[in-house]
Amino acid sequence: MFSFLTKKKGKKDNESEIKEPVINEEQKNELYKQIKELEENLLISSAEDRIKSLNTLGDIFFQLQETDQAIQYYEKSIEENRTLGKAYTNLVKLYNIKRKEAAWAKDDEKLQHYLNKMDMLLKMTKDEIRGL
Amino acid sequence: MSIINFIIENILTQASITIALIALLGLVLQKKSFGQIISGTFKTLLGFQVLSAGSSIIVGSLIYFGKIFTQGFGMQGIIPSIEAINGQAMNELGLGSQIAFTFLAIFIVNIVIARFTKWKYIFLTGQAILWMSTMCTAFGYFAGFRGLTLIIVGGVIGGIFAVAMPAIAQPFVRKITGSNDIALGHFCTIGYLFEAWVAKLVGDPSKSVEDVKLPKSFEFLQDTYLSVMVVMVPLYLVTAFFAGPEFGAQFSGNANYLVHAFLQAIQFVVGVYVLLSGVRLILAEIVPAFRGIAMKLVPDAIPALDCPVLFAYSPNAVIVGFITTTIGTVIAMFALPSFGLAMILPGMLTNFFAGGTAGIFGNVAGGKRGAIIGGIAHGIFITLLPALLITILNSLGFVNATATDVDTVAAALLYAWIITPLMGLF
Repeated sequence: MFSFLTKKKGKKDNESEIKEPVINEEQKNELYKQIKELEENLLISSAEDRIKSLNTLGDIFFQLQETDQAIQYYEKSIEENRTLGKAYTNLVKLYNIKRKEAAWAKDDEKLQHYLNKMDMLLKMTKDEIRGL
Repeated sequence: MSIINFIIENILTQASITIALIALLGLVLQKKSFGQIISGTFKTLLGFQVLSAGSSIIVGSLIYFGKIFTQGFGMQGIIPSIEAINGQAMNELGLGSQIAFTFLAIFIVNIVIARFTKWKYIFLTGQAILWMSTMCTAFGYFAGFRGLTLIIVGGVIGGIFAVAMPAIAQPFVRKITGSNDIALGHFCTIGYLFEAWVAKLVGDPSKSVEDVKLPKSFEFLQDTYLSVMVVMVPLYLVTAFFAGPEFGAQFSGNANYLVHAFLQAIQFVVGVYVLLSGVRLILAEIVPAFRGIAMKLVPDAIPALDCPVLFAYSPNAVIVGFITTTIGTVIAMFALPSFGLAMILPGMLTNFFAGGTAGIFGNVAGGKRGAIIGGIAHGIFITLLPALLITILNSLGFVNATATDVDTVAAALLYAWIITPLMGLF
């Protein structure tokens, strides 16, 4: 049962964290341009397109490692449409990044805040899959 | 010395006080205000009393069910309910204090392992740790451990499980989530791996169940308690019918025996409702305190979260997993008695959460076909394992119930099959 204690020792480290691709300046500028367009579209697009745009904005900010902004757009997306998808899965990851930052900074209040957000998200997932 | 003896004999043996003191410790360590400490401590005390009340209701209903089932079908019919096991162990068997201390010990061992080894998993599902500490304490007691040894052994075994289970699930979790950021903290992991193994043998991961269109939701499952009721009411009614009106009349007084059976089924659901409210009250104070501490001591921890964390990755697989696991539990219900084991009735909540999560593992390992065949195998597996515990649970004084979460069952079997015989050698 406890073979896992020894099993991984000699193993190649192909399971370490999946590395985010590095974005160069040019790509960054392109992404910011996209953000601007999407944010403008948000005001005029239909409900379905709006959710798509909110999720894409979340994705781009996640790529740019601007966690707060990414969280904001994904949260808005879930608020408006609770269908399970990338907004949920990326939000858990983003909350975890914030949780980690708070833990390193020994900021207890923030730590609990993001742990509670994780709890809330799991509860929403549970409710959504059961059709509540 | 007499003061210490008084504390040990009269205070620490009172489970409600022990649990409240643990909450107090957590709140003090979090540097909460005086008012918050007092209110948190008393809420925990209250939580334990609510849990005990819930347990008494469940036991009353289970005793009745046990009698009519034996009369009706000539064998023991067991309801799988980890809540019922926890309630009985904490309340009726008087192991509440030991369970509370073991809960704390599991948390500490988990932090120590995560802090000093490369396995950085911190198990954050408080309820699951409570179930684990229940099984470690009950089966440690069966193995002959008492006092501090019971708690330390339980803490070490439970703590190792709290790290080992997320660790062994992680290769699949990585495949499902595409990252190593989060882990799965749900003590049904051995079942998930079993399903993945079966799915790998029979399936093809390239044909995912997510490509199929499935019904969006299951309305009868919208409410936890309603879903328990949907199963318990027919179960009690059919059993009472087979036990017959004469036998039923001795319990029902002036009421009709079937009406009485119906009300007893509702009583069971009420018991679960009350017990879980108590558990929530207790954990609401204890868990934030200790997970805050854990996260600060191991800032690079990989949080092991409750099973819904995977649902959004593969919603279809959850539904397929639930249905196929239920089919498997029904097959096992009829098959196990012919092997001389007790009849284990299907537990719908486990089927949904454990079955649903197992479906995701089945799908990632063996696609559509893997999820379906693996799911049925999973249902049989999670019924067989708890069935193996019945003799010991009966001898310990548990009434008509068995544990559900298979990792806690595995821990119990570790005590029963390895530690108890070893203890006999000394």
